[in-house]
Amino acid sequence: MISIKGNRTTAAFLLACALLLAAFTGRNFLEMRKPDIVVPAPGFDGHMLSEWFPNIVGTPVDTPVFIQDSGVPGGSVLIMGGTHPNEPAATMTAVVFLERATVNRGKLFVIPFANMSAFGHNSPQEASPQRIHFTLPDGSVRSFRYGSRATNPVHQWPNPDIYIHEASGQQLSGSEMANLNRAHPGVEDGPLTQRLARGLLELLLKEEIDLAFDLHEASPEYPVVNAIVAHENSMMLAAMVTMDLEFEGIMMRLEPSPRNLRGLTHREWGDSTGTMPILMETGNPSQGRLRGKTDERLALTGEDKFYAKASELGNLFIPYEKDQPMDLRVARHTGSILKFLATLDLVDPEIGVEVEGVPGYQEMLEMGVGAFLTPLEL
Amino acid sequence: MMTLIYRAIALFILFFVLRCMFREKDFWKQVTATMVIIPLVLRILMIK
Repeated sequence: MISIKGNRTTAAFLLACALLLAAFTGRNFLEMRKPDIVVPAPGFDGHMLSEWFPNIVGTPVDTPVFIQDSGVPGGSVLIMGGTHPNEPAATMTAVVFLERATVNRGKLFVIPFANMSAFGHNSPQEASPQRIHFTLPDGSVRSFRYGSRATNPVHQWPNPDIYIHEASGQQLSGSEMANLNRAHPGVEDGPLTQRLARGLLELLLKEEIDLAFDLHEASPEYPVVNAIVAHENSMMLAAMVTMDLEFEGIMMRLEPSPRNLRGLTHREWGDSTGTMPILMETGNPSQGRLRGKTDERLALTGEDKFYAKASELGNLFIPYEKDQPMDLRVARHTGSILKFLATLDLVDPEIGVEVEGVPGYQEMLEMGVGAFLTPLEL
Repeated sequence: MMTLIYRAIALFILFFVLRCMFREKDFWKQVTATMVIIPLVLRILMIK
């Protein structure tokens, strides 16, 4: 290396460079904390979760809750995306319901960004993209954040060495303290993530939600993928839906919620409320351990040569030829949710919920997610 | 309170990094200090 003499002038120059870079990157990081813009369909009213649980008012985890009440007696259904913001098909499914649904019977609740704090940053060392973009039929572009699995450490820190789930005493890795889907049923005066979970529980209890979806994605090499996880309360409904989906060629595993794995929606919501909780997973290569280059293209297409090789070797739990596009992953979620809604009143005729305007599996596959987003100019 | 103490510690370290940087005679070691300063500034401001 060329030897260059340093002095106070070079130090001042380098300090200016450092501050410039810090300003540039700082602005970039702060941009991620701005909420994504959504355009609710007519009939939706916007609320904040803190209206049900004031302990999170003014905190970074308070999150919008959209409600459409048909005025016709029926059940109440919650669709929640964004528990883990690095699982974007879950968020986009909730957004499609929010921007397209017309509720003809019962009441529909949509929470597109469950862990709002986790949307505001990326997981370290994952090389995740900050945003994903969708082109709409009119040529305009909508973008959404690709966040982290965990609550932003700027908002909640430090993690303990061991996270003890308060309701059960279960011990997990300390990082799980910031994972919303290990925090249920929540703690009234606990850390932010635990309070957020408690807020969601209060919503379920006070609104007497009959059926609640917590949408996710999983690595293709993880066994619980392309799957519906159901509590005992929701198993009968989930079994009927899984069979119906299979008749239509949409293969979904049906997994019972483990009784001894605590802190997850499909266990705690079912144990603590009268709701029928359903957790659904699709296969997302951009969060998997086998992936190669990680960028927006991978998040949207799921096209990865290493996953293709793993599939050839029979090491994946999803059918994977060359890709796993966002449209397919969202189609699996929307198609399954619509099937649940169509089947709900078979379980109890009084809790039926009718929704129209949301694309089914085939329509979503053919037209893509962008076709069902509303242009921002309108 | 804990966050304030944490930020004060980061500020303390930043002060000494700057002190070393301005006393350093090797330009490349000053560059190394520059790379340390960026995350420290972002941490003190609670941006990242």
